[in-house]
Amino acid sequence: MTASRYVYAIGRALEPADLAGLVGIDGAEVHPIAHRDLVAVVSAAPADEAALRARLERLDELAVVAEAHHAVVAAVATQTVVVPFRLATIYRDEQRVGEVLHERYAEFSALLDRLTGTVEVGVKLYAEDRAPAPVTPSASGRAYLQQLSQRHRRRDEKWQHAAAAVERVDSSLGALALDRSRHRPQAAQLLGVAGDNVLNAAYLVPAGRLTEFTDLAHRLARDEPALRLEVTGPWAPYSFTEPDHGDRS
Amino acid sequence: MTGEPAPAVPGPWHRFATEPETVERDLARLALTIVELLRQLMERQAVRRVEQGDLTVDEEERIGMTLMLLDDRMGQLLERFGLAREELNLDLGPLGTLLPRD
Amino acid sequence: MTRAISERGVALIDVLDRLLEGGVVLTGDLTLAIADVDLVRISLRALICQVEADRDDVGRQP
Repeated sequence: MTASRYVYAIGRALEPADLAGLVGIDGAEVHPIAHRDLVAVVSAAPADEAALRARLERLDELAVVAEAHHAVVAAVATQTVVVPFRLATIYRDEQRVGEVLHERYAEFSALLDRLTGTVEVGVKLYAEDRAPAPVTPSASGRAYLQQLSQRHRRRDEKWQHAAAAVERVDSSLGALALDRSRHRPQAAQLLGVAGDNVLNAAYLVPAGRLTEFTDLAHRLARDEPALRLEVTGPWAPYSFTEPDHGDRS
Repeated sequence: MTGEPAPAVPGPWHRFATEPETVERDLARLALTIVELLRQLMERQAVRRVEQGDLTVDEEERIGMTLMLLDDRMGQLLERFGLAREELNLDLGPLGTLLPRD
Repeated sequence: MTRAISERGVALIDVLDRLLEGGVVLTGDLTLAIADVDLVRISLRALICQVEADRDDVGRQP
């Protein structure tokens, strides 16, 4: 039995009974490690570190680990405010986890206070997928270059329009949110969906204003024919775990 | 290709048939992605120079013909390996995709 | 939490965005911080190893 512990999240006032039945990576039982009112949600980590590392480099196995991790975070988040951890934070033993809780007590407490009563909403915008006109064989090299030039210009215009629309939506939604964060745009190859992802943002929203927020998002998207909207969540506040996250850019 | 619905891990990567030629096809796809990257970079550079107006008529003609032939050759290679141009790409994680989607 | 927003299951790509780029980052005891995982290698390997992945038929829910 390995002593090392995989950490999923930190919360408050969680009893073992609250985590009963929850399993994490490789089916390991999830249990709490407490220090004062802080509780780390952990499970026994996979024993073979090298093997886990190798797994994380394969998309399909990474997916299994990610889903197990997320399932634990999501389940605990239904009960109490949590600070989710990034994938694969592992400590040598339970004592070390306790020490981390002790060392970072003030920081985690402040974070939990800030995140109480909030949810994260994901907003993704896609630029409409107008396929560029195919480049036709030309009679001359110069004519071909002219075609290419036009194509590039049209593409630039498309991006400019999309960017302006994104700014409009983002600033309106940002006004309703407590905080916002951007992830990198999602690669189309991974999505198999139409259009390019031009905004992949997360907004921290008071739980009581969730419906108002999503209604606004849909209204804004209706006014932007160049964009397609996708709303995800509500999520545990993965994107807002930095203590001084006051960045609104 | 088998035409089965793609499994849950997203992406067109799962459209491969489980046949021996697939490995060769995958390697061809990687190689052609790099070639396509170079072709697009050259195209971009050429367009920029045309717009700046610092090419002679002869140069425009020569460069345009070269790019046209390159594009044609790429089409032939894609056909030979049964690849669509949209399949040529690499996701570089935090760096986004290697090639722009359009 | 309400289900008002999405009836569909959670998309893997959205989970990965949050688990690989979000969440608290602490230096664990094992040198397994996700920052060490070469995300470029993930893509290249996924590309080449897809035949194996299909055969394994992990069969996850979308």
